Amino acid sequence: MSRGIVIAGGGLAAQRCAETLRRAGYDGRLRMICAERHRPYDRPPLSKGALAAADGDASLGFRAPAWYADKQVELLLGASAAGLDAMRREVLLADGTNVAYDELLIATGSRPLLPAAMRGLRNVSTLRTLDDARTLRAAFAAGGPLVVVGAGFIGQEVAAAARRAGVPVTLVEALPAPLAPLLGEAMGAWFGDLHSAHDVQVVLGRRVVGLEGAERAEAVLLDDGRRLPCAHVLVGIGVAPDTGWTAGNGLGDRGVRADESGRTAVDHVFAAGDAAATFDPVVMAFLPGSHWEAAARQGAAAARAMLGLDATASHRASFWSDLYDVRLQYIGHAALADHVRIDGDLGARDFSVTYSRGGSPVAVLLANRPQELPNARALLAT
Amino acid sequence: MSYTARIDAGACAAHGDCEDVAPEIFAIEGDVAVVIGDGPDDLWLEAARVCPSVAIAILDATGRQVYP
Repeated sequence: MSRGIVIAGGGLAAQRCAETLRRAGYDGRLRMICAERHRPYDRPPLSKGALAAADGDASLGFRAPAWYADKQVELLLGASAAGLDAMRREVLLADGTNVAYDELLIATGSRPLLPAAMRGLRNVSTLRTLDDARTLRAAFAAGGPLVVVGAGFIGQEVAAAARRAGVPVTLVEALPAPLAPLLGEAMGAWFGDLHSAHDVQVVLGRRVVGLEGAERAEAVLLDDGRRLPCAHVLVGIGVAPDTGWTAGNGLGDRGVRADESGRTAVDHVFAAGDAAATFDPVVMAFLPGSHWEAAARQGAAAARAMLGLDATASHRASFWSDLYDVRLQYIGHAALADHVRIDGDLGARDFSVTYSRGGSPVAVLLANRPQELPNARALLAT
Repeated sequence: MSYTARIDAGACAAHGDCEDVAPEIFAIEGDVAVVIGDGPDDLWLEAARVCPSVAIAILDATGRQVYP
Protein backbone atom coordinates (compact mmCIF):
# COMPACT_ATOMS: atom_id res chain seq x y z
CA MET A 1 0.00 0.00 0.00
CA SER A 2 1.38 3.42 -0.93
CA ARG A 3 1.76 6.18 1.62
CA GLY A 4 -0.01 8.92 -0.28
CA ILE A 5 -1.24 12.13 1.26
CA VAL A 6 -2.25 12.18 4.91
CA ILE A 7 -4.36 14.96 6.41
CA ALA A 8 -4.16 15.19 10.18
CA GLY A 9 -7.44 16.77 11.21
CA GLY A 10 -11.12 16.59 10.36
CA GLY A 11 -12.20 20.20 10.31
CA LEU A 12 -12.73 22.76 7.58
CA ALA A 13 -9.12 23.15 6.44
CA ALA A 14 -8.74 19.38 6.30
CA GLN A 15 -11.94 18.91 4.33
CA ARG A 16 -11.11 21.67 1.86
CA CYS A 17 -7.67 20.18 1.32
CA ALA A 18 -9.19 16.76 0.52
CA GLU A 19 -11.74 18.26 -1.85
CA THR A 20 -9.19 20.38 -3.65
CA LEU A 21 -6.80 17.45 -4.06
CA ARG A 22 -9.46 15.36 -5.76
CA ARG A 23 -10.77 18.27 -7.80
CA ALA A 24 -7.25 19.00 -9.02
CA GLY A 25 -6.85 15.43 -10.18
CA TYR A 26 -4.84 13.80 -7.42
CA ASP A 27 -5.81 10.12 -7.61
CA GLY A 28 -3.42 8.61 -5.08
CA ARG A 29 -4.14 7.37 -1.60
CA LEU A 30 -5.76 9.98 0.66
CA ARG A 31 -6.36 9.56 4.38
CA MET A 32 -7.82 11.88 6.99
CA ILE A 33 -6.97 11.40 10.66
CA CYS A 34 -10.09 12.60 12.49
CA ALA A 35 -9.82 12.72 16.27
CA GLU A 36 -13.59 12.74 16.68
CA ARG A 37 -15.96 9.88 15.98
CA HIS A 38 -17.88 12.08 13.56
CA ARG A 39 -17.06 12.53 9.91
CA PRO A 40 -15.82 16.07 9.08
CA TYR A 41 -18.39 18.70 9.94
CA ASP A 42 -18.80 22.47 10.12
CA ARG A 43 -18.11 24.03 13.52
CA PRO A 44 -19.67 27.54 13.44
CA PRO A 45 -23.25 26.19 13.84
CA LEU A 46 -22.24 24.46 17.09
CA SER A 47 -22.58 27.72 19.00
CA LYS A 48 -25.66 28.80 17.05
CA GLY A 49 -28.44 26.62 15.68
CA ALA A 50 -26.99 23.35 16.97
CA LEU A 51 -27.59 24.51 20.53
CA ALA A 52 -31.27 24.98 19.82
CA ALA A 53 -32.11 21.66 18.24
CA ALA A 54 -30.55 18.21 18.03
CA ASP A 55 -32.27 17.37 14.76
CA GLY A 56 -29.76 19.35 12.73
CA ASP A 57 -26.70 17.41 13.86
CA ALA A 58 -26.69 15.15 10.83
CA SER A 59 -26.68 18.11 8.46
CA LEU A 60 -23.53 19.59 10.00
CA GLY A 61 -21.38 17.18 7.96
CA PHE A 62 -19.60 18.83 5.05
CA ARG A 63 -20.37 15.87 2.78
CA ALA A 64 -22.50 12.77 2.95
CA PRO A 65 -20.75 9.46 3.74
CA ALA A 66 -21.11 8.51 0.07
CA TRP A 67 -18.87 11.40 -0.94
CA TYR A 68 -15.92 9.91 0.94
CA ALA A 69 -16.54 6.53 -0.67
CA ASP A 70 -16.89 8.04 -4.15
CA LYS A 71 -13.75 10.12 -3.79
CA GLN A 72 -11.84 7.30 -2.09
CA VAL A 73 -11.03 9.41 0.93
CA GLU A 74 -10.26 7.12 3.87
CA LEU A 75 -11.56 8.51 7.15
CA LEU A 76 -9.69 7.33 10.23
CA LEU A 77 -12.40 8.29 12.72
CA GLY A 78 -11.58 8.45 16.41
CA ALA A 79 -7.87 8.40 15.58
CA SER A 80 -5.87 11.05 17.34
CA ALA A 81 -2.45 12.19 16.14
CA ALA A 82 -0.06 11.88 19.07
CA GLY A 83 3.36 12.36 17.52
CA LEU A 84 5.22 13.24 14.35
CA ASP A 85 8.48 11.83 13.02
CA ALA A 86 9.18 14.08 10.06
CA MET A 87 12.45 12.27 9.28
CA ARG A 88 10.65 8.95 8.75
CA ARG A 89 7.55 10.73 7.46
CA GLU A 90 5.22 9.09 9.94
CA VAL A 91 2.40 10.27 12.15
CA LEU A 92 2.12 8.35 15.39
CA LEU A 93 -1.45 7.74 16.54
CA ALA A 94 -2.60 7.62 20.15
CA ASP A 95 -3.27 3.87 19.80
CA GLY A 96 0.40 3.28 18.99
CA THR A 97 0.07 2.70 15.24
CA ASN A 98 1.94 4.70 12.61
CA VAL A 99 0.55 6.39 9.52
CA ALA A 100 3.25 6.93 6.90
CA TYR A 101 2.89 9.74 4.38
CA ASP A 102 4.42 11.15 1.22
CA GLU A 103 2.90 14.58 2.01
CA LEU A 104 1.30 15.64 5.29
CA LEU A 105 -1.16 18.41 6.10
CA ILE A 106 -1.27 19.46 9.73
CA ALA A 107 -4.82 20.68 10.25
CA THR A 108 -5.62 19.65 13.79
CA GLY A 109 -7.11 23.05 14.60
CA SER A 110 -7.19 24.51 18.05
CA ARG A 111 -8.49 23.58 21.45
CA PRO A 112 -10.29 25.81 23.94
CA LEU A 113 -8.32 27.18 26.85
CA LEU A 114 -9.41 26.02 30.27
CA PRO A 115 -7.56 27.34 33.32
CA ALA A 116 -6.23 24.66 35.65
CA ALA A 117 -8.48 25.83 38.48
CA MET A 118 -11.54 25.08 36.33
CA ARG A 119 -10.60 21.56 35.24
CA GLY A 120 -11.98 18.31 36.54
CA LEU A 121 -15.47 19.53 37.37
CA ARG A 122 -18.34 17.71 35.70
CA ASN A 123 -20.46 20.76 34.95
CA VAL A 124 -17.72 23.00 33.59
CA SER A 125 -17.24 22.76 29.83
CA THR A 126 -15.89 24.43 26.73
CA LEU A 127 -17.35 24.45 23.22
CA ARG A 128 -15.41 23.19 20.24
CA THR A 129 -16.88 19.88 19.17
CA LEU A 130 -20.26 18.37 18.42
CA ASP A 131 -20.01 16.38 21.65
CA ASP A 132 -19.41 19.65 23.51
CA ALA A 133 -22.56 21.09 21.92
CA ARG A 134 -24.51 18.04 23.06
CA THR A 135 -23.23 18.54 26.60
CA LEU A 136 -24.43 22.14 26.52
CA ARG A 137 -27.81 21.17 25.12
CA ALA A 138 -28.27 18.78 28.01
CA ALA A 139 -27.30 21.55 30.42
CA PHE A 140 -29.89 23.86 28.81
CA ALA A 141 -32.51 21.14 29.14
CA ALA A 142 -31.69 20.80 32.84
CA GLY A 143 -32.64 24.45 33.25
CA GLY A 144 -29.65 26.36 34.57
CA PRO A 145 -28.61 28.80 35.87
CA LEU A 146 -25.77 29.02 33.38
CA VAL A 147 -22.65 31.10 33.94
CA VAL A 148 -20.71 31.95 30.79
CA VAL A 149 -17.11 32.98 31.38
CA GLY A 150 -15.81 35.15 28.54
CA ALA A 151 -17.84 37.38 26.22
CA GLY A 152 -16.07 36.64 22.96
CA PHE A 153 -18.24 35.40 20.14
CA ILE A 154 -18.52 31.85 21.47
CA GLY A 155 -19.57 33.05 24.91
CA GLN A 156 -22.03 35.55 23.48
CA GLU A 157 -23.59 33.03 21.13
CA VAL A 158 -23.97 30.50 23.94
CA ALA A 159 -25.56 33.15 26.15
CA ALA A 160 -28.03 34.04 23.38
CA ALA A 161 -28.85 30.39 22.69
CA ALA A 162 -29.37 29.74 26.41
CA ARG A 163 -31.77 32.66 26.71
CA ARG A 164 -33.67 31.38 23.70
CA ALA A 165 -34.02 28.09 25.59
CA GLY A 166 -35.31 29.99 28.62
CA VAL A 167 -32.21 29.37 30.73
CA PRO A 168 -31.12 32.09 33.20
CA VAL A 169 -27.66 33.31 32.16
CA THR A 170 -24.88 35.36 33.70
CA LEU A 171 -22.19 36.51 31.26
CA VAL A 172 -18.86 37.39 32.89
CA GLU A 173 -16.21 39.36 30.99
CA ALA A 174 -12.90 40.70 32.27
CA LEU A 175 -12.88 43.56 29.75
CA PRO A 176 -14.95 46.69 30.43
CA ALA A 177 -16.92 45.94 27.22
CA PRO A 178 -17.21 42.78 25.11
CA LEU A 179 -14.87 42.68 22.09
CA ALA A 180 -13.82 46.29 22.67
CA PRO A 181 -10.18 45.74 21.61
CA LEU A 182 -11.40 44.36 18.30
CA LEU A 183 -14.51 46.40 17.49
CA GLY A 184 -14.18 49.52 19.63
CA GLU A 185 -15.84 50.69 22.81
CA ALA A 186 -19.08 51.91 21.22
CA MET A 187 -19.71 48.51 19.67
CA GLY A 188 -18.55 46.75 22.82
CA ALA A 189 -21.17 48.65 24.81
CA TRP A 190 -23.77 47.77 22.17
CA PHE A 191 -23.05 44.05 22.61
CA GLY A 192 -23.37 44.36 26.38
CA ASP A 193 -26.70 46.18 26.01
CA LEU A 194 -27.98 43.59 23.54
CA HIS A 195 -27.57 40.84 26.12
CA SER A 196 -28.99 42.93 28.96
CA ALA A 197 -32.07 43.58 26.81
CA HIS A 198 -32.54 39.81 26.63
CA ASP A 199 -32.35 39.43 30.40
CA VAL A 200 -28.78 38.20 30.54
CA GLN A 201 -27.07 39.35 33.72
CA VAL A 202 -23.99 41.00 32.19
CA VAL A 203 -20.97 41.39 34.48
CA LEU A 204 -18.18 43.45 32.92
CA GLY A 205 -14.67 44.26 34.12
CA ARG A 206 -14.66 41.34 36.55
CA ARG A 207 -12.44 38.29 36.73
CA VAL A 208 -13.22 34.80 37.91
CA VAL A 209 -11.07 34.01 40.92
CA GLY A 210 -12.33 30.51 41.62
CA LEU A 211 -15.07 27.94 41.56
CA GLU A 212 -16.88 26.68 44.62
CA GLY A 213 -17.52 22.95 44.78
CA ALA A 214 -15.75 19.60 44.68
CA GLU A 215 -16.93 17.37 41.85
CA ARG A 216 -19.36 19.94 40.56
CA ALA A 217 -19.08 23.71 40.47
CA GLU A 218 -21.78 25.11 42.76
CA ALA A 219 -20.87 28.76 42.23
CA VAL A 220 -18.48 31.01 40.32
CA LEU A 221 -16.52 33.43 42.49
CA LEU A 222 -15.60 36.89 41.17
CA ASP A 223 -12.83 39.28 42.14
CA ASP A 224 -15.31 41.72 43.71
CA GLY A 225 -16.47 39.03 46.14
CA ARG A 226 -19.62 38.19 44.24
CA ARG A 227 -20.81 34.58 44.19
CA LEU A 228 -22.75 33.42 41.14
CA PRO A 229 -24.65 30.15 41.74
CA CYS A 230 -24.47 27.84 38.73
CA ALA A 231 -25.85 24.59 37.40
CA HIS A 232 -23.39 24.74 34.50
CA VAL A 233 -20.35 26.84 33.55
CA LEU A 234 -19.33 27.44 29.94
CA VAL A 235 -15.80 28.78 29.53
CA GLY A 236 -15.07 30.69 26.32
CA ILE A 237 -11.83 32.57 26.91
CA GLY A 238 -9.96 31.70 23.74
CA VAL A 239 -8.16 28.87 22.01
CA ALA A 240 -4.64 27.61 21.45
CA PRO A 241 -3.37 25.69 18.40
CA ASP A 242 -3.71 21.93 18.89
CA THR A 243 -0.22 21.15 17.63
CA GLY A 244 1.54 19.77 20.70
CA TRP A 245 1.76 16.41 18.92
CA THR A 246 4.11 17.90 16.30
CA ALA A 247 6.72 18.97 18.89
CA GLY A 248 10.35 18.13 18.30
CA ASN A 249 10.33 18.73 14.55
CA GLY A 250 11.24 22.42 14.47
CA LEU A 251 7.82 23.47 13.19
CA GLY A 252 7.12 26.23 15.75
CA ASP A 253 5.68 26.10 19.23
CA ARG A 254 2.61 28.33 18.97
CA GLY A 255 1.03 26.86 15.90
CA VAL A 256 2.95 25.38 12.99
CA ARG A 257 4.68 28.16 11.09
CA ALA A 258 3.57 28.18 7.48
CA ASP A 259 3.74 30.48 4.47
CA GLU A 260 0.73 31.53 2.42
CA SER A 261 0.81 28.27 0.48
CA GLY A 262 0.86 26.23 3.70
CA ARG A 263 4.53 25.18 3.39
CA THR A 264 6.40 24.72 6.65
CA ALA A 265 10.11 24.65 7.43
CA VAL A 266 10.08 20.87 6.93
CA ASP A 267 9.85 19.17 3.54
CA HIS A 268 6.59 17.33 2.80
CA VAL A 269 4.87 18.93 5.78
CA PHE A 270 2.14 21.56 5.26
CA ALA A 271 -0.15 23.30 7.72
CA ALA A 272 -3.52 25.04 7.43
CA GLY A 273 -6.32 26.47 9.53
CA ASP A 274 -6.16 27.19 13.24
CA ALA A 275 -3.15 24.87 13.61
CA ALA A 276 -1.10 27.05 11.24
CA ALA A 277 0.67 30.23 12.30
CA THR A 278 1.02 32.52 9.32
CA PHE A 279 2.94 35.76 9.15
CA ASP A 280 0.77 38.79 9.88
CA PRO A 281 2.32 41.81 8.15
CA VAL A 282 0.40 44.20 10.40
CA VAL A 283 1.75 43.03 13.74
CA MET A 284 4.97 41.64 12.19
CA ALA A 285 4.63 38.25 13.88
CA PHE A 286 3.48 34.71 13.19
CA LEU A 287 -0.06 34.36 14.54
CA PRO A 288 -2.17 31.22 14.75
CA GLY A 289 -5.29 31.22 12.60
CA SER A 290 -8.76 31.69 13.97
CA HIS A 291 -10.96 32.41 10.99
CA TRP A 292 -13.27 30.09 9.16
CA GLU A 293 -12.71 31.61 5.73
CA ALA A 294 -8.92 31.62 6.15
CA ALA A 295 -9.00 27.96 7.15
CA ALA A 296 -10.92 27.08 3.99
CA ARG A 297 -8.52 28.97 1.77
CA GLN A 298 -5.40 27.65 3.46
CA GLY A 299 -6.61 24.06 3.17
CA ALA A 300 -7.22 24.52 -0.53
CA ALA A 301 -3.90 26.34 -1.04
CA ALA A 302 -1.96 23.58 0.73
CA ALA A 303 -3.58 20.98 -1.53
CA ARG A 304 -2.44 22.87 -4.60
CA ALA A 305 1.05 23.37 -3.20
CA MET A 306 1.34 19.62 -2.51
CA LEU A 307 0.60 19.00 -6.18
CA GLY A 308 3.07 21.61 -7.36
CA LEU A 309 0.37 24.02 -8.51
CA ASP A 310 0.19 27.76 -7.87
CA ALA A 311 -1.06 28.35 -4.35
CA THR A 312 -1.59 31.37 -2.20
CA ALA A 313 -4.28 31.97 0.38
CA SER A 314 -5.28 35.51 1.24
CA HIS A 315 -5.76 35.95 4.95
CA ARG A 316 -8.62 38.38 4.92
CA ALA A 317 -10.46 38.07 8.18
CA SER A 318 -14.19 37.52 8.18
CA PHE A 319 -16.77 36.07 10.47
CA TRP A 320 -20.46 36.00 11.08
CA SER A 321 -22.54 35.57 14.17
CA ASP A 322 -26.17 35.17 15.14
CA LEU A 323 -27.23 36.76 18.44
CA TYR A 324 -30.96 36.69 19.18
CA ASP A 325 -32.57 38.33 16.13
CA VAL A 326 -29.35 39.94 14.90
CA ARG A 327 -27.25 38.60 12.04
CA LEU A 328 -23.75 40.07 12.30
CA GLN A 329 -21.27 39.94 9.45
CA TYR A 330 -17.76 41.25 9.65
CA ILE A 331 -14.87 41.54 7.21
CA GLY A 332 -11.45 43.14 7.53
CA HIS A 333 -9.16 44.16 10.38
CA ALA A 334 -10.95 46.65 12.61
CA ALA A 335 -8.18 46.64 15.22
CA LEU A 336 -6.15 48.79 12.80
CA ALA A 337 -8.74 51.55 12.70
CA ASP A 338 -8.30 55.16 13.78
CA HIS A 339 -11.85 56.13 12.87
CA VAL A 340 -15.25 54.48 13.31
CA ARG A 341 -18.40 55.53 11.48
CA ILE A 342 -21.79 54.10 12.37
CA ASP A 343 -24.63 54.34 9.84
CA GLY A 344 -28.14 53.32 10.81
CA ASP A 345 -29.89 52.70 14.06
CA LEU A 346 -28.08 50.94 16.90
CA GLY A 347 -31.28 50.69 18.95
CA ALA A 348 -33.15 49.08 16.06
CA ARG A 349 -30.24 46.66 15.50
CA ASP A 350 -30.05 47.74 11.87
CA PHE A 351 -26.73 49.38 11.10
CA SER A 352 -23.34 49.20 9.45
CA VAL A 353 -20.04 50.18 11.01
CA THR A 354 -17.15 51.25 8.81
CA TYR A 355 -13.70 51.20 10.37
CA SER A 356 -11.02 53.24 8.62
CA ARG A 357 -7.39 54.10 9.00
CA GLY A 358 -5.92 57.21 7.46
CA GLY A 359 -9.18 57.71 5.56
CA SER A 360 -9.16 54.23 3.97
CA PRO A 361 -11.69 51.59 5.04
CA VAL A 362 -10.10 48.58 6.79
CA ALA A 363 -13.14 46.72 8.12
CA VAL A 364 -16.92 46.64 7.98
CA LEU A 365 -19.38 45.23 10.52
CA LEU A 366 -22.99 44.73 9.41
CA ALA A 367 -25.95 44.16 11.72
CA ASN A 368 -29.02 42.80 9.93
CA ARG A 369 -27.80 44.22 6.63
CA PRO A 370 -26.73 41.16 4.65
CA GLN A 371 -27.62 42.90 1.41
CA GLU A 372 -24.72 45.28 1.96
CA LEU A 373 -22.10 42.55 2.15
CA PRO A 374 -21.14 42.57 -1.55
CA ASN A 375 -20.65 46.35 -1.44
CA ALA A 376 -18.67 46.11 1.77
CA ARG A 377 -16.32 43.62 0.17
CA ALA A 378 -15.89 45.88 -2.83
CA LEU A 379 -15.19 48.82 -0.51
CA LEU A 380 -12.36 46.95 1.23
CA ALA A 381 -10.92 45.59 -2.00
CA THR A 382 -10.27 49.05 -3.43
CA MET B 1 -35.82 32.30 -16.11
CA SER B 2 -35.27 35.79 -14.88
CA TYR B 3 -32.45 35.50 -12.35
CA THR B 4 -28.74 35.91 -12.84
CA ALA B 5 -25.82 35.70 -10.42
CA ARG B 6 -22.88 37.91 -9.66
CA ILE B 7 -20.09 35.83 -8.14
CA ASP B 8 -17.52 37.60 -6.01
CA ALA B 9 -14.37 35.77 -7.10
CA GLY B 10 -12.47 37.24 -4.18
CA ALA B 11 -14.95 35.82 -1.71
CA CYS B 12 -15.56 32.45 -3.39
CA ALA B 13 -13.44 29.76 -1.78
CA ALA B 14 -14.62 27.02 -4.16
CA HIS B 15 -16.48 25.10 -1.48
CA GLY B 16 -18.68 23.69 -4.24
CA ASP B 17 -21.96 23.84 -2.34
CA CYS B 18 -23.62 25.81 -5.16
CA GLU B 19 -22.59 23.11 -7.61
CA ASP B 20 -24.02 20.44 -5.30
CA VAL B 21 -27.37 22.18 -5.05
CA ALA B 22 -27.66 23.42 -8.63
CA PRO B 23 -25.25 21.57 -10.93
CA GLU B 24 -27.13 22.80 -13.98
CA ILE B 25 -26.42 26.42 -12.99
CA PHE B 26 -23.09 26.47 -11.17
CA ALA B 27 -19.77 24.69 -11.52
CA ILE B 28 -16.39 25.04 -9.86
CA GLU B 29 -13.76 25.79 -12.45
CA GLY B 30 -10.29 25.95 -11.01
CA ASP B 31 -10.57 28.01 -7.83
CA VAL B 32 -13.84 29.75 -8.39
CA ALA B 33 -17.53 29.12 -9.03
CA VAL B 34 -18.91 30.09 -12.43
CA VAL B 35 -22.36 30.16 -13.97
CA ILE B 36 -22.72 27.48 -16.61
CA GLY B 37 -26.46 27.39 -17.22
CA ASP B 38 -29.90 28.33 -16.03
CA GLY B 39 -32.69 27.02 -13.84
CA PRO B 40 -35.77 27.97 -11.84
CA ASP B 41 -35.57 31.10 -9.67
CA ASP B 42 -35.88 29.04 -6.49
CA LEU B 43 -32.81 27.04 -7.44
CA TRP B 44 -30.72 30.16 -8.06
CA LEU B 45 -31.71 31.41 -4.63
CA GLU B 46 -31.12 28.08 -2.91
CA ALA B 47 -27.63 27.81 -4.41
CA ALA B 48 -26.78 31.32 -3.24
CA ARG B 49 -28.16 30.66 0.25
CA VAL B 50 -26.04 27.56 0.77
CA CYS B 51 -22.84 29.39 -0.21
CA PRO B 52 -20.83 29.41 3.04
CA SER B 53 -18.81 32.40 1.85
CA VAL B 54 -21.87 34.43 0.80
CA ALA B 55 -20.06 34.93 -2.50
CA ILE B 56 -23.12 34.71 -4.75
CA ALA B 57 -25.42 37.69 -5.23
CA ILE B 58 -28.65 36.99 -7.10
CA LEU B 59 -30.05 39.68 -9.39
CA ASP B 60 -33.50 39.80 -10.93
CA ALA B 61 -34.27 40.73 -14.54
CA THR B 62 -34.08 44.44 -13.72
CA GLY B 63 -30.62 44.04 -12.15
CA ARG B 64 -31.95 44.50 -8.61
CA GLN B 65 -30.12 42.46 -5.97
CA VAL B 66 -32.57 39.97 -4.43
CA TYR B 67 -29.97 38.07 -2.39
CA PRO B 68 -28.22 38.53 -0.01
